[in-house]
Amino acid sequence: MSAPSASVSAPAPSPSASGTPSSAALEPAVPFIEIEGLRTEQFIPAAKEALSSLIAEQAQGKLIRPVFNWAGRNSLFPLHWGLACCAIEFASAFGARFDAERFGIVPRSSPRQCDLLIVNGTVTWKVAHKLITLYEQMPEPKWVIAMGNCATGGGPFRTAYSVVPGVDKLVPVDIYIAGCPPRPEALLDGILKLEELIRERGE
Amino acid sequence: MATDELNQRIQQRFPDRGITVEPFEGLAGRVLFPPAAALELFRFLRDDRSFHHLSFVAGVDWKSEREVVYALWSDTERDYLLLSTRVDASDPHLESATSVWPSANWHEREAWEMVGIRFDHHPDLRHLLMPDGYEFHPLLRSFKLHEPEELEVKVRHV
Repeated sequence: MSAPSASVSAPAPSPSASGTPSSAALEPAVPFIEIEGLRTEQFIPAAKEALSSLIAEQAQGKLIRPVFNWAGRNSLFPLHWGLACCAIEFASAFGARFDAERFGIVPRSSPRQCDLLIVNGTVTWKVAHKLITLYEQMPEPKWVIAMGNCATGGGPFRTAYSVVPGVDKLVPVDIYIAGCPPRPEALLDGILKLEELIRERGE
Repeated sequence: MATDELNQRIQQRFPDRGITVEPFEGLAGRVLFPPAAALELFRFLRDDRSFHHLSFVAGVDWKSEREVVYALWSDTERDYLLLSTRVDASDPHLESATSVWPSANWHEREAWEMVGIRFDHHPDLRHLLMPDGYEFHPLLRSFKLHEPEELEVKVRHV
């Protein structure tokens, strides 16, 4: 793709899109509405230049990605999946008192529609591969919150024979929320921290 | 049903098989039997003594030997009966009770998984509470609590 300095090698009647006064002296700038009146050899360099600047912006992540980032972080859809007592606080966060939906957080029942996995409870080795399957079924981009002490590090069952000592042994975790169980405010705080994280990463 | 009466019937039916009945905690009694007599005793208790319901099967680790406990319930007698047998810990195996009481299926899977007692002729003796490929019997006294870093657990990813 040619650099923005395409006017150097262009022939004399080149309608440079930058519209500098020097090129306007050679030939009057063509208004956008009359672009159909352009001859082909005039039209193609202009389109090329406009396209290349668009593509360059998109390659630097300045054009579409901020829009998706803004939309994505303000409508996080967590998976409606309860494992243990943290799931009660999880459910309470979506009830009338705390109403997480005002932040655009809507629990969905299918991992195909989710971008946030909240692991709310004790993960046993029996359920470990089901958790990995659910995580892999979620479309990119996706994030994981380890809610409560059990999901964070095994909690009081850390040395038990059947409990995964921390869900980060299975899936990558973005936010850890302490508490046994954490109150709904803590969960909401964790989700808002995740939104900050998504904004900083600019994914 | 009196424990003495049950003892009499069992001694009549199985003379010199080493089966003894003792009173136990207000229940119908506790039957101690050798593993070799298991299936015959089960069928006798179900068909002749109306113990149609098997409440649970449990395994106990006594280090040198392992105990298998069965709890039976009779609707006609309105009473529980405990069965208890001991197998050697070097090769702990016992005939499965699933052919007599189908409800023994999952209980025996759990007893095998936790205490390591194999049940011969069990239709589906695989893990119940732990993932497939788990190599320990965690309720044995020889099983030590590990730090999580030491405990290697294979997770089969389906």
